[in-house]
Amino acid sequence: MSNKSSINWFKLNRNLHRDIGYFCVGLVIIFAVSGIAVNHKDDWNPNYKVSHQQISVSDETWQLDNDELLIEQIISHADVSEPVKASYWVSPQEFKVFLKNGNNLSLKLNQDIINYEAIEPRHVFQAFNRLHLNETTASWVIFSDIFAGLLLFLAISGLFMIKGKNSPWGSRSVLVISGMLLPAAYVFL
Amino acid sequence: MFLKSKTFIAFSLALLSFSQHAFSLQFGNPVDSDKLIKISTVMASPDDYLASPITVEGTITGVCEKRGCWMTLASDKRFENLRIKVEDGDMVFPMTAKGSKAIVTGKLDKIQLSLGRTKALLAHKAQQAGESFDANSVTEAMAIYQLVPSGVEIIE
Repeated sequence: MSNKSSINWFKLNRNLHRDIGYFCVGLVIIFAVSGIAVNHKDDWNPNYKVSHQQISVSDETWQLDNDELLIEQIISHADVSEPVKASYWVSPQEFKVFLKNGNNLSLKLNQDIINYEAIEPRHVFQAFNRLHLNETTASWVIFSDIFAGLLLFLAISGLFMIKGKNSPWGSRSVLVISGMLLPAAYVFL
Repeated sequence: MFLKSKTFIAFSLALLSFSQHAFSLQFGNPVDSDKLIKISTVMASPDDYLASPITVEGTITGVCEKRGCWMTLASDKRFENLRIKVEDGDMVFPMTAKGSKAIVTGKLDKIQLSLGRTKALLAHKAQQAGESFDANSVTEAMAIYQLVPSGVEIIE
């Protein structure tokens, strides 16, 4: 009787690579999209769309001694209907009004303008980034570690999926080596 | 009837509790209200508060746009504020919290600036305020203070 294993390792590897690959599709998309977003955070804000509108307010007598009246004046000029959350004197020349919806108005006395800042959350990117940057629960960190392990399996098992002339051990090893050398080049250059 | 009243009270308390949770955001450890001190008191002699944790409260007047890694709290004194700063990702303060009240427990951190950095900081502040600035008028380096929080509660 032969002791030789009856397990077909080649087939098992291919099946595991296929099924783990399917499982990782959603996670790969989340990490890839938020990775691009975070890479370019200096060029655009992945979490919020922030827009500014300037309203010219020259020739206005402001109620500087009464914050409530001043708020009413500013709201009237900006033509907003949102309830007020709070107000704050940034400096003798700047007064801010915060609205319930998260937006705010800044009266800049020395520039005769009201700046209306509108803040609109990008909910999908925010959720992706929270996951990518581990800003959720501790259990997500454990899950992320498992996902990293699965990615390692996909990378290594991928080397044993194809036999013959298209295997990564023949002429196509150039591709494997290139994928290793390129990041190394960025480290040493 | 008595049972109905009790049920109603229990339901109301549960609803109140839920509504309070729904409008407050908690980061890190719970805040320690016993250590509450006015921001103006801290800023009047900040070096006295470097040794042990303090708790401050105030309206959120600014939040880091990109990472939510800092926010500024309005002092009880006009034109004054205190910066709350975390390492990137430790806590992420939402931009939409501007104007909400925050209670923060943490340690005050002193950062001594060089004369060059002092001039750059003051020039930046003047530019933001739309004011003119003469760098030659600054002859002494300054220190800035920020609170590194262990716990933050934002109340909508």
